[in-house]
Amino acid sequence: MSLEEKFTAIRKGLLEFLVLKIISANQVYAADILKELNATEFATQEGTLYPLLSKMRREELVDYEWKESESGPPRKYYELTAKGREALRETQDYWQKISGTVKNLGQK
Amino acid sequence: MNKVITINLNGVAYQLEEGGYDALRAYLENAAHRLEGNPDKDEIITDIEQSVADKFRALLGSYKTVVNAREVAAVIAEMGPVEDDSSAAAGQDKASTGRAAQSSEAAAAGDKSDGAGPRRLYRIYDGAMISGVCNGMAAYVNIDVTIVRLAFLLMTFLWGTGVLVYLVMAFIVPEAKTSAEKAAASGAAATAQEFIKRAKAGYYDGMRTFHDKQSRRAWKRRFKQDMRSWKFGFQKQMHEQSQQWEQKWQGHWSWTSPPIIGPVFIAPFLSLLLLAVFVLMIYAMYLLVTTHAVFGVVMPATMPLWVGLLILFILFQVVAWPIKALRYSCYYPVAHGGCGGGSFGGLFGSLIGLFFLGFGIWMLDRHVPEFHEWMVQLPGLLHRLIDTLKSWFV
Repeated sequence: MSLEEKFTAIRKGLLEFLVLKIISANQVYAADILKELNATEFATQEGTLYPLLSKMRREELVDYEWKESESGPPRKYYELTAKGREALRETQDYWQKISGTVKNLGQK
Repeated sequence: MNKVITINLNGVAYQLEEGGYDALRAYLENAAHRLEGNPDKDEIITDIEQSVADKFRALLGSYKTVVNAREVAAVIAEMGPVEDDSSAAAGQDKASTGRAAQSSEAAAAGDKSDGAGPRRLYRIYDGAMISGVCNGMAAYVNIDVTIVRLAFLLMTFLWGTGVLVYLVMAFIVPEAKTSAEKAAASGAAATAQEFIKRAKAGYYDGMRTFHDKQSRRAWKRRFKQDMRSWKFGFQKQMHEQSQQWEQKWQGHWSWTSPPIIGPVFIAPFLSLLLLAVFVLMIYAMYLLVTTHAVFGVVMPATMPLWVGLLILFILFQVVAWPIKALRYSCYYPVAHGGCGGGSFGGLFGSLIGLFFLGFGIWMLDRHVPEFHEWMVQLPGLLHRLIDTLKSWFV
């Protein structure tokens, strides 16, 4: 089992956190999120991202607004809600904690 | 040389090779299937269609107007299998079988009935001759409409049974109004698959008329089809927006309120009630025409007959409307977005039904002496019925 396979579930679980992070930087269109993710180990596809975004919107972490685009129909641009920013802060703290734990465990 | 199929993705037409069309349809069907139960299903499908459309647009240019099968497959591979995150339990096995599922999606392109929704009997107006009864039945039992129509015609020669059955069905069977209902009429799963199927049918229709050199009709049909797809897109958008509003306002409370499931068994009873009201109105009209009075209420001499008939008809609509609405909600417990514009269609449908029922009764009255006698006795029967009803309440 390759490392990549071993960490499939972890990458999947972190996806929401990363999407929150990307959206927190500025208003983005779904394709921008994909482009940013696909440059990393967290590469994903529309088939996964769209259901995730809609779930996050349902949980009121993100919201979108329609914006005209120079090529083609209007697009949905996502941004974080207050609740989303709060969730991002909490997740970030938690992530700090566990990555600290991972780093410190087993060291004397 | 390959056959090309035109599809509509969020209001823009794209031409795909047939193999590509099948693959895309299978992909979207599969997506819809996996998103079953997700409250944002329609929206996600729209997003996915939009994304597919963006990718197609990037491939096309002024000298390249058709997306070939290989390119469709590449786009689908790029999109990746649709995974519903809200069903977390199934998530992991989906992730591992994701690639396998994708290849089986292409393989499943051939068989239609897979993942089909529940099949219901509806009247289908699109392409109907009278009120869509035959059309709906044909869709329900999955045979050609012409055969059903011929069967009705044959039945008509058997003492007019065909007409009678038709009238009763035109009355009792609800009309397929929303896209979901239209899909249910032929047992197909709703949304993407359904509209692509319809777009395909429209395309073939257009080709047929074009072959007959009736290019004007072909154009008209094409136009109609475009209008329909526009309407569909619009409805979808409205649905989406209304959902958004709902979520915004209901978000404070819990969003887990279960859908209210209407007691389906009431529907036939409501249909019968509606039929009774309808027969009563026809009888009242008959009385009005023959005796210029309805149940003892004499029509003013100055009032023309047609005004009286119109008043009766409007009265009927007023009484029937809540029953119809109730029946509708029984058939369709889940609130659907686009229900505007339906009431006019319903009125139109009942006008046609009314005409045929009236015509049928008139024919029977003229040509069948037993029926005439029964009609003559009916006032007495009805008065007795009313008297017994009164005695219950007084």
